[in-house]
Amino acid sequence: MDLQYSDSDRDFRQKARTWLAANVPTTRRPANGHTSAQYDRDWQRKLYEHGWAGVAWPKEFGGLGLTGLQQVLWYEEMARARAPHYINTTYVALMHAGPTLIMRGTEAQKAFHLPKILSGDALWCQGFSEPNAGSDLASLKARGTIDGDDIVVSGAKMWTTDAQHADYQELLVRTDPDSQRHKGLTWIICDMKSPGIDIKPIRTMLNDEHINMVFYDDVRIPKSNVVGEINGGWASALATLSLERGLGFIGDQLELYERVGRATDMAGKLRLEDGTLAIDDSSIRQKLAALKADALAIRAMTLADIAETDRTGQPGPKGSMMKLLVTSAHKALSELVGDMMGWDFLEFDGDRTSHPWTYDYLWSWVFSISGGTNEIQRENIADRVLHLPRAR
Amino acid sequence: MYLAPDGDELGIAQAAAEFLAEAMSIERLHRAACADMSADLRHALGGMGWFALALPEDAGGSGLSAVEHALFFREVGRQCGPVDVLAQCLAATIVEDVTLRSAIANGDAGVALAVEDGTRLRIFGSENAAFMLQLGRDRSDLYPLENTASEPRASLDPATSIRLLDRVPTAVASDTGDCAWRLGQLGTAAMLVGIAEASLDQIVDYAKVRETFGKKIGSWQAVRHPCADMAVRLEAARAQLWFAATAMKEGRGDAGVHLDAAKYLANQAALANADTNIQLHGGIGVTDEHHAHLYLKHALVLARLFGGRREVLGRLLHAEVED
Ligand SMILES: Cc1cc2nc3c(=O)[nH]c(=O)nc-3n(C[C@H](O)[C@H](O)[C@H](O)COP(=O)(O)OP(=O)(O)OC[C@H]3O[C@@H](n4cnc5c(N)ncnc54)[C@H](O)[C@@H]3O)c2cc1C
Repeated sequence: MDLQYSDSDRDFRQKARTWLAANVPTTRRPANGHTSAQYDRDWQRKLYEHGWAGVAWPKEFGGLGLTGLQQVLWYEEMARARAPHYINTTYVALMHAGPTLIMRGTEAQKAFHLPKILSGDALWCQGFSEPNAGSDLASLKARGTIDGDDIVVSGAKMWTTDAQHADYQELLVRTDPDSQRHKGLTWIICDMKSPGIDIKPIRTMLNDEHINMVFYDDVRIPKSNVVGEINGGWASALATLSLERGLGFIGDQLELYERVGRATDMAGKLRLEDGTLAIDDSSIRQKLAALKADALAIRAMTLADIAETDRTGQPGPKGSMMKLLVTSAHKALSELVGDMMGWDFLEFDGDRTSHPWTYDYLWSWVFSISGGTNEIQRENIADRVLHLPRAR
Repeated sequence: MYLAPDGDELGIAQAAAEFLAEAMSIERLHRAACADMSADLRHALGGMGWFALALPEDAGGSGLSAVEHALFFREVGRQCGPVDVLAQCLAATIVEDVTLRSAIANGDAGVALAVEDGTRLRIFGSENAAFMLQLGRDRSDLYPLENTASEPRASLDPATSIRLLDRVPTAVASDTGDCAWRLGQLGTAAMLVGIAEASLDQIVDYAKVRETFGKKIGSWQAVRHPCADMAVRLEAARAQLWFAATAMKEGRGDAGVHLDAAKYLANQAALANADTNIQLHGGIGVTDEHHAHLYLKHALVLARLFGGRREVLGRLLHAEVED
């Protein structure tokens, strides 16, 4: 075991720190609407122009070709610099659509899409879940009928985050009408400007409209947009999901330590309803310190996983463990801050930037439900890590 | 950067596991007079050099690091190994006198662990021990125990006997600094991680064979999900343990902070996993002949040594870590 960073790791950290300190936007991200997506595109373009786009991508596809460890450093520096949160409208494109194309896309698909993703010109959304297919994704019903050189899609997708801003979509449909479950599915790139697409925003408890119902009324998509094989989409979908569950939340894992520090600073200034400083309350002190220990462990686990992956080239089965830990710790932290803040916590107008702690509190359910619920993560651990007899 | 046992470390962990499963199996705790190290066990461990793992080579030890120390004590923990195994190792690191040091390292002279309890000392370990070791964060003292009257107390934990001592004798060896204390904290955290692991292994094995309502209990989600939570807690505690051990080995300035975090997480993981292991076994889990209660009771002792929850959390709150 060793905790050594190489000279090039240290150089990389220093360069990232210096650049971020000078370039992190000073203006706030708008809470909603078209201007928020534009803000994300602008930040991504800036990263791209300065050579910081695609931290997780191989060099040959325009990325930085960083080791896993250097990616950790990047996200630590992003958190320290309070850079725009990486889970924004560019997230799907950078974290899983692009990498899925790199693994399974055709040369033409890669040549067309990858540069646009890196530069922030193309935003993507993920159209996997449906009203009746979430945890049990393989039961999905959206139809893709093969018609000459096209696939004609009809049906509905639900929960599609940022569909209204996206240029393209990772779309999973059933192309073999007689098929059951995982067989007969196809992963296609859907141009969101195609005729026949209707997007209906769903208002959430966060007071925003980031998620959507997406209806498809005979939407024609060329067969050349299929990623992987026709009727072999489950394999591509698994690739996408493994990216989402592997390093998909790395930023949150590493940001937790910073956030506990911010909460501790805040506790040093906030007065509780009886007039005492929050930090002098023994239960608050203990909870903050316990969360700090959790944050350190999450960081240690992240480093352990990354080092293993850098060595073997294969991500381990630990993503589900990480997601459970990190979602629980984030929720506990925002509950604790909410308790310290008293009435102020409740003055929430739906703006992520003006009331970040309230927003994060509400977001904690999004975090523990989307991308596979915590219950499903426990199922994965029981199956794949502990090899218990199957429940299903 | 690599944070899992690797290379020679794997060999040491395996050798420790095999040796301890023979010499100090948890089965011993179902027999009479099972607490602490017997003189035979002490000699067996000493003879194999296990007490001198972290002792420098020029002091007659193996010259290995905090990492091997942690790997060894994780295996000790899996067998609910007695606390005096740790006291014996730590004492060897603070004694300058060559004869005494080798008597301790080879197991001829036994060492118990002493902890301040109000005005008295609470002693954990064999009554045949010749010495007791008291460790603080800034000094350690080794005292003679022979001819010192102590009052035996009842002990919840079959692996550990407890005595109280009123009068502190004169130290035969002392050391300033926190090196021994840190090795003690690391060793205790490692034993707790071993307990958390053994508890998880035990329930996972049982969940694969025990059937109710015509199905293995491991297929019921009310069993599967708490098992998954045990695995997550263990994973977090173990990753932090490796981090802390490596930070100590490399002399990082923030090693103490990582140790405190490791101890806190190990306390929580061992206690919670031992608890869940009993519950998910059903009735058999509360029987004396089962191991499940042994893990819990031993964890209760270890969780109070080298930093209980309140103490480590108090230090952690404002502590700073390095990049
Ligand atoms: C804010 C948000 C954004 C999202 N963004 C996207 C997106 O962009 N693209 C996309 O494709 N999807 C997206 N999703 C969908 C998300 O992946 C699903 O909501 C999630 O997988 C759960 O599916 P479900 O909502 O159908 O719940 P269900 O599957 O109906 O689950 C209901 C409850 O039952 C539990 N449960 C289900 N099956 C089991 C089981 N076998 N064992 C134990 N418990 C079980 C669940 O944990 C849950 O608590 C998003 C969801 C949210 C909330």
